[in-house]
This record gives sequence, C-alpha cells and structure tokens, in this order.
Amino acid sequence: MDPIVDFRSIGVSLGGHPVLRGVNLTLAPGEVLGVSGPNGSGKTTLIRTIATLTSIDSGSGTVLGTDLTSTSLVPTRRKIGMIGHHPALIPELTLTENLTHAARLAGIEVTRVANALGVVGLEGASDRRADACSFGMRRRVEIAHLLLTRPTLLLLDEAASGLDSSARDLISAMVDSTRSRGGGTVVVSHDESQLRGIAENVMSLSGGRLEPSR
Amino acid sequence: MTFWPQAFEIARVDLIVERRIGDTLRIVLPFAVVALMVFPLALGLQLSTIRDIGFGVFWALGILFGMQVALRQSAADTPERRDLQALLGVDAAARFVGRTLSGSVLMGGFLLILALAMLALYAPRLPTGVWPVLVVSTLLLGIGLTELGTLAGEVTTGLRARTSLASLIVAPLALPLIIGASQSVEALEQDTGILPWVLLLVTSDLALAVAGVALARPLEEATR
Amino acid sequence: MTRTRLLMGTAGLSVAIGLWFALTAPPDVLQGEYSRLINIHVPSMWLAFLAFGVTALGSIMWLVRKKERWDRLAAASVEVGVIFTGIGLFTGMVWGQAVWGAPWDWQDPRLMSTAVMFFVYLGYLALRNALDDPVVRARRSAILGAIAVVQVPLVYFSVNLFRTLHQTQSIRPDGSTMPDEMVIAMLINVAAFTVLYVALMVTRLAVSRLEAQARPEGVFAGDAVRPPRLSEVEDV
Repeated sequence: MDPIVDFRSIGVSLGGHPVLRGVNLTLAPGEVLGVSGPNGSGKTTLIRTIATLTSIDSGSGTVLGTDLTSTSLVPTRRKIGMIGHHPALIPELTLTENLTHAARLAGIEVTRVANALGVVGLEGASDRRADACSFGMRRRVEIAHLLLTRPTLLLLDEAASGLDSSARDLISAMVDSTRSRGGGTVVVSHDESQLRGIAENVMSLSGGRLEPSR
Repeated sequence: MTFWPQAFEIARVDLIVERRIGDTLRIVLPFAVVALMVFPLALGLQLSTIRDIGFGVFWALGILFGMQVALRQSAADTPERRDLQALLGVDAAARFVGRTLSGSVLMGGFLLILALAMLALYAPRLPTGVWPVLVVSTLLLGIGLTELGTLAGEVTTGLRARTSLASLIVAPLALPLIIGASQSVEALEQDTGILPWVLLLVTSDLALAVAGVALARPLEEATR
Repeated sequence: MTRTRLLMGTAGLSVAIGLWFALTAPPDVLQGEYSRLINIHVPSMWLAFLAFGVTALGSIMWLVRKKERWDRLAAASVEVGVIFTGIGLFTGMVWGQAVWGAPWDWQDPRLMSTAVMFFVYLGYLALRNALDDPVVRARRSAILGAIAVVQVPLVYFSVNLFRTLHQTQSIRPDGSTMPDEMVIAMLINVAAFTVLYVALMVTRLAVSRLEAQARPEGVFAGDAVRPPRLSEVEDV
C-alpha cells in the first residue's frame, strides 16, 4: 500500500531561518509515528508541513498521494485532522455552534454534532460559550470535531498537554480508531516517554533533521 | 460543501459573532456620530454652511470609520482558525466572498444609520429623489469599502501596526468609491445624470471583487 | 560594477544635457521662468507612472512565477518610484502655486492618481519593513501591488470623470502654449530621467543581489535552544 506520508529530503525555512533540513519520513497506513525534540526544534513546523499548511523550500514529498507542491490541495486537506497548540474555536459561539459551524463547512451531517459532544463528555456544556470554557473543555471539542471528520491522517501537536487523564484516554481511543481504519497518526511531544506508550516508532528532531530516537 | 454554501456559512457566523460582541453598533458608530458633531464646532461654522457640508462630512467620516468596521473581521481571525478552515477544505475565495457579504451587511447598516444622524444634525437641503440614490450609493460604497478592507486586513494580518497600515492602504485606494458616492448625490442637486457615478461605484466594486477572488489563494498562503 | 558605473555616468550626462536644454530654452510667455520647472515635474511624473507599472509587473510576475528576482524588481521600483513621485508632486505644487495661484488641482486626474500612488507606495514600503520572512514579505507585497493595479486606473478614471462633469470649476489658465524649444527640452529631460531610472534600478538591483548573498545562514531553530544549567539554578 502507498504510504500516507512520504517525505524525501524536505527543507523548510521560516522567517528567513532554516527550520528543517533533509527530513526523510515515511508513514505507513495504520502506523503511529512519534516525534520528539526540545523546544524550538521544529516539531510544529514538521506537523504543519505534513498538514500541507507550510510550504517546503527543498526536497519532495507526498501526503495521501498528493504532491506537496500541488496547486489543488483541498481534497487532501479534507482527509487531514490536526490538533495544534491552541484550540481553534470561535470564542463568541457556544460549543455546539462551533462544532456545527465546522460540520457545515466540511459538509458533514449536523445531526451528529450532539452525539459527538456527548461522546467526549461535554453534553452538559454544549450551550456554553467557548470563551467561558476551560482549555481542557475546548480541547475536547476539538477531539469531538475529529470524531466527526474521521481523518485518514491524524496530526497531534502536544495534544495531551493540559488535559486530565480521561481526556488523554480519549486521545488514545481516537488514535486507535484511526489506526483501525487504516489511517496514520503523527504525534508530536517533547515528552518522549509519553510517545513510547502510544507510537510504534519514535523519532527525534535535532539540528533540523529527523533521526531515530535512541 | 460547495463554494456558495461555504461563503454563506462564513457570513452567517460572522454576523452572529458581531451581534454578540456589537463592536460596530456599540462602539464605532457612536464614535462616528461624535465625530459628526466635532466638525461644525471645530470649524465654527454658520448654520447655512453646516447645511452645505453635511453630505461631504458624511462621506468622509463614512470612509474613515468604515475602514475600522471593514478591518475588524480579519482582526478576529487567529492562525489556528485559518488552519482549521484550510483543513476543512474551505475555499479561500469562498472565505473572501463570505467576509465581503457579512461585512457589507454591517457596513451598510453602519453607513445608513450614520447618514440618518448626519441628516438630523446637519439638516442638509435634500434634492428630489435623494433617498433611493443615497441608499444605493451608500450600499455600493459599503461593499467596495468592505472588499478593500478585507484585502488590506489580510495583507497586514499579524503585524503590530496593522490597523494604521491597513488604513493607509485602504484610504487612498478608496478614492473612486468616495468620488462615486459623493458625486451621485451632488448630481441630483446639479440635475446632471447620476448614472456615471453609480456605474463608477459598480465598476469599482466588481473590480475589487474580481481581485479579491483571484488573489484569495495567494492571500491565504501569505497569511501563514 | 563597471556596468553600473557606466550606466550612472550615462544617466548623469543625460540629466546634465537635459538641464542645459531646460536652462537655455526660452521661457513660456505666460508662465515665465517657472515654466522651466516643467523639465523636472513632467519627467518625474512620467517616472512615477513608469515605476508603478514596473512594480505592478514585478508583483504579478512574482505571484505567477514565485521567483525572488521579480520581488526585487518590484521593491526596487517602489523605492525609486517613491522618490520621483515625491519630486513630481512637490514641483507640481510649486509650479501650481506660481502659475495658477493654487498649489493643488483637485480636478487633475494625473495629479490625484499620482498622489494615490505615492501613499500606496508608502504603504508598500511600510508593509515590507514590518515583515521579516522574505517569502511572506514578497507574497504580501505582490498582492498589494496587484490590488493597486486594479484600483489606480479607477482612481484616474474617476477623477477624470469628476473633471469632465465639473468643467466650470477648472483653475487652469486658458490658451497657455509652450515654445517648441521648451517642448523639446521637456522631451529630452523625459528621456534623461528614463535613463536615470534605469541606472538607479540597475544599481539598486545589484545592491539587492549582494544583500541576498550576504544574508547569513540562519541559525537552526533547535540550535538556538540549549539544555538548561540545572546545577546553577540556586545561584541566579
């Protein structure tokens, strides 16, 4: 089967500074890859490059079979789900409204929204505005969003930080679900021990390069 | 979801957010009305002169304060929300059109209420047939200003001086809109044709719409 | 560098020749000695539009090709253009005050378009100055350049329409004609200023290329962060 992510010698610069160089990465269907590295090593840049949100400067690669330099990335992006550092909710909307808005934009049945919020344990707060919710609650809404969209490629950037144990279990369940559907997951964390518990393969970023973790 | 449903959904949510925050009607509009009152006092004008400058002051303040209304939407966009919309497959052009739709509604309301305030404070002489011309010109001005503001807001997103810089970009490029809107009413007073001015406004709005849609994808890449 | 010096020398000579023609041509009967200002004002205004056109071309080509040289071309043209736009506007105002009794003609579409371009250029330079990332800077500048391509012609058209329908308010004196020698001098100065523009652009582009080459290789993100010195925590 074709790899979900196939990077060959990828180089990325941001703000005039090189961040990634010569990055080789292959993610097979059903695989969970962990990426660790100290602060400022380029983990988020790597995740965003895999998500096709950051352009590459050198090298070549494909994500879900689409070349990174393609001008029509929209169909590919629809199969990618990502949790970043900060929740991407609209503060003035309720949790239900946020999820409904995202569902409508993605062309997903909005009738599934209530159930998704229930699965992540937020049915009691569904009418609360996002700016009145804690970080952990907003992060659960993002998980609910991914349960709705069922991405083929799941990208988690320090997704478990600031979450209680039940929310962490939710993330693990989501990773297992993606794996069982033949999807791939990339988990980024500075906590290598956490990665070893969830990923088959752990690599580390150092000097802009991705290397197997010792 | 296809282009137009995405655009309408983005516009719908923008208007909901505005209804809940109320920046435009609760802050910008009263500030603009205060500015309407400042002019005659600062210039020490006679009543007859005040009546003569009413429409001119309205168009000038409409542009200047309207820019703040136009810029407020892109100010609320966070990098995370942009990323989310990109991964949801939101067409960049649909986002531009959606922003323009919601912004135009807000801008139209803002300008029309400001116009009513001007009419009350300045009591200008009203030529025959002014109301439909005033409404149409104001709405077309609002659309063009929203388009320019959206574009300028995107180009300056993330910069510390974005409000000033975006205003610097919008103000000179809004000249055709100011001329078209102001001259449409003056044409009524002079009893010359309003059509060239309305066509100027329509042309400007269309040109900006085409530019916005054509530049949407590069703009999306430029704001990451 | 030899080519640059040759071009600058040629430009200097051209401007000197133009200046000689400007000072030796007979002045206009109505405008007097102030008519000589036209030899700076008109070429400067011509240069402003030329520079804007080159900026627009560079912007659109960058959006299409994404090659750094188009961004450098657009940026260099803005820098040169803003200077000549300012000179054109200033000399125009001096001339207007002396000849028409008013420094500004609200109904002159070229003057209004040039003023709009001047502020758009200033915004363009301010935008570039505020952005560090070279790719983001090039992209956003190109977009602003492309927006200006759409709007500036509309500015010209709208002011022209304004003047057409307000002809009774014109402040221009009627029947003003320049002697042929002055027209020739003006055209020579337009050509001289064009050579000067090319010379300045070539020089500025050469400097841009050197700046790009001299740009130090950035520190890798990870290299900028070191492990903390835990044993020294109590000593802070």
